[in-house]
Amino acid sequence: MVFVLLVSGCSTVNPESEPSSQSEKSDELVVAIGAEPDTGFDPIKGWGRYGSPLFQSTLLKRDDDLKIVNDLATGYDISEDGKTWTVSLRNDVTFSDGKPLTAEDVKFTFDTAAASGASIDLTNLASVEIADNEVVFQLNKPQSTFVYYLITTGIVPKHAYNSSYSEHPIGSGPYQFVQWDRGQQLIVESNENYYGKKPYFHKLTFLFLNEDAAFAAAKAGSVDVAYIPSAFSNQSVTGMGLEAVKSVDNRGIAFPYVKAGGKTEEGYPIGNDVTADVAIRKAINTVINRQQLVDGILEGHGSPAYTANDGLPWWNEETVIPDHDAGAAAKILEAGGWSDSDKDGIVEKEGLKAEFTLIYPSGDVTRQSLALAAADMVQAIGIHIQVEGKSWDEIEKLMHANAILLGWGSHDPLEMFNLYSSAFGGVDYYNTGFYSNPTVDKLFEQALEARTEEESLSYWKKAQWDGQTGLSVKGDAPWAWLVNIDHLYLIKNGLSIGKQRIQPHGHGWPVTDNIESWIWKE
Amino acid sequence: MSQLAAVQQGKTRNGWNVRKRAYVSATGAGLLLVAIGIGSWLLGSAGLSVQLDNRNLPPSLAHLFGTDWLGRDMLSRTVKGLALSIQVGMLGAACSVIIAAVMGLMAATLGKTADRIITWLIDVFLSVPHLVMLILIAFVCGGGLKGVAIGIMLTHWPSLARLIRAEALQLMSAEYVLVSRKLGRSSYWVATRHLAPHLLPQLLVGFLLLFPHAVLHEAAVTFLGLGMSPHQPAIGIILSESMRYLSTGMWWLAVFPGLGLLATVRAFDKLGHYLRQLVDPRNAHL
Repeated sequence: MVFVLLVSGCSTVNPESEPSSQSEKSDELVVAIGAEPDTGFDPIKGWGRYGSPLFQSTLLKRDDDLKIVNDLATGYDISEDGKTWTVSLRNDVTFSDGKPLTAEDVKFTFDTAAASGASIDLTNLASVEIADNEVVFQLNKPQSTFVYYLITTGIVPKHAYNSSYSEHPIGSGPYQFVQWDRGQQLIVESNENYYGKKPYFHKLTFLFLNEDAAFAAAKAGSVDVAYIPSAFSNQSVTGMGLEAVKSVDNRGIAFPYVKAGGKTEEGYPIGNDVTADVAIRKAINTVINRQQLVDGILEGHGSPAYTANDGLPWWNEETVIPDHDAGAAAKILEAGGWSDSDKDGIVEKEGLKAEFTLIYPSGDVTRQSLALAAADMVQAIGIHIQVEGKSWDEIEKLMHANAILLGWGSHDPLEMFNLYSSAFGGVDYYNTGFYSNPTVDKLFEQALEARTEEESLSYWKKAQWDGQTGLSVKGDAPWAWLVNIDHLYLIKNGLSIGKQRIQPHGHGWPVTDNIESWIWKE
Repeated sequence: MSQLAAVQQGKTRNGWNVRKRAYVSATGAGLLLVAIGIGSWLLGSAGLSVQLDNRNLPPSLAHLFGTDWLGRDMLSRTVKGLALSIQVGMLGAACSVIIAAVMGLMAATLGKTADRIITWLIDVFLSVPHLVMLILIAFVCGGGLKGVAIGIMLTHWPSLARLIRAEALQLMSAEYVLVSRKLGRSSYWVATRHLAPHLLPQLLVGFLLLFPHAVLHEAAVTFLGLGMSPHQPAIGIILSESMRYLSTGMWWLAVFPGLGLLATVRAFDKLGHYLRQLVDPRNAHL
């Protein structure tokens, strides 16, 4: 097995690129930062949701401080009723094949995405019209989150879009496509026609290696940037430095929120009597030592998590609670009617023992470690968690009736809506515990129907905690968020990857968000 | 012939004959098994708890086998893993032996048609690589301890069954069996009263030889991720986890559990080997 890894680690490195990456100041980079996108490089099928779309560009984008700025657009305007979004476009943009990018292409992109419905939910989009270098989006009802589609959807050329587009993408982004060897590597070159700040590096080679192989390649000096798991962070690699990037790539425990008894349409059980009790959920949140999880499991490369969106503009800072407090947790349990009357170390309430099962996906070592450590921590207050590892197929059947160790994290508050809205109860992996709170639902509605992003922020924050109730630990605590995982990159000495943003859950790709700012330092 | 030479060589080297060596290795293997069983029971579950302050410690007096990346004591994990593997091995090997005995006796006593069907069944099972079969069965049973145990039970009987059938057929032509049948005894009577006692040594040796095989297969299936939850202490799981940490220099995660598995399997293999020499009439002159 080790042998196979070594062999694959060596064979996938492009031999021609090796001498050039050795010499400083080369304008070519070899990077091993993440998994290959299965569906190729078509924005309509989900490419570019994490990190730079490389080949395409978007109407709007976020700057390094996560502020929304213009990209293809020169500005946008939202009507008073919030239903009409008018985006005016730059007129100097051409695709990498030399043809100009027009409003026609924007309309085509959004129409195709709405029709395919694959990865972008555009059900609220009534129509797209084009005027003189302007695109007008008509919505069925106001939607403040519509702006995120303008940020994440790369514009594809109408004249060159066909069924094989995802394998030979053409766009107006900073790089153009050269070669994709499925399962091995992607080679891109800078786009001469790019209208924005031209990237310093002329040629990038992305190697699709697993984490062990990426680390081995970094050790061998054959890559300039490598994405590595925290287990390897303690080892130094000659000629490379470790860069830890903050993230909202979080891990937490999703509790079943309702009592047992229900069944989903597929017949899977819903609910759990123990975790349906708010005292249990709050006590677990209070007793867990998040900092110790960060230090012990993530080797210090992470931060405690209190919500799914720590540090983002829509985060309510009041949701941070003091944790690692067994005394306070015991008081919460006592007030909730739980006590250890039969002295077996596990608290009971009306004959119901505080026991439940926590399931983690068996292929994920970090989640396994978090689950085991969390289960050990809550033992101190008399709650017994059985830990089990299952495959995703099995988890789908069990996730509504058992606590699950899940991970999220996105640059889009819509994720909060998906995770906590009663409308998403039991939909995909979102609200697995069937959480619902009418006040929170109402605030979500207000946030979504706000006219602009700024207006919506206060509603998103209130949904987490409005002083009375909310979806955070202070309110109903349907989750016990544990940690945000820093993304770790080994960077060749002298290479600067600029100011990195708080990265979403996205397996290495988000590092390319600011690819134009990468440069060799003196 | 080569066996004879080897045995005689052994005799001259340390002055022990085969019988003596068989007894010694039987005692050794027995002691090892008992030590693992008792050790697993004595160690309790304290060593399995997560102690984030004691992570990645190399072997020391407090942790003889070191600790893993969650601060779990590797000695506890190894011993418990071996105990679990031995349980699965015992269960799998015992059930295989029972199936093999029943099949072999049925083939010998129930007439030509039954014999043909059973021989065909044995051939079918032997024609598929049994690791593939095992993975398939474990998968269908939904993984876990149950899946692995059932998989081992159902895949390891054919070769022993073929052996038992051959022995039983030979016995069927013995005079006392022929007389017994002429006197009108039923096939069941013949199988249980006349054949089974003669086959007991073969079954016992078959059991001892199947056992290490079953343990290795249990470890292999668990290693491939079809067995138990990844946090449960099973040797296959421990070994597959350790792969991840080999490149970080934590050799103790793989070495001790690996040696433990090797020692257990080797002990039983030796035991089965010598026992066969002791009970097999063809080796009686030794």
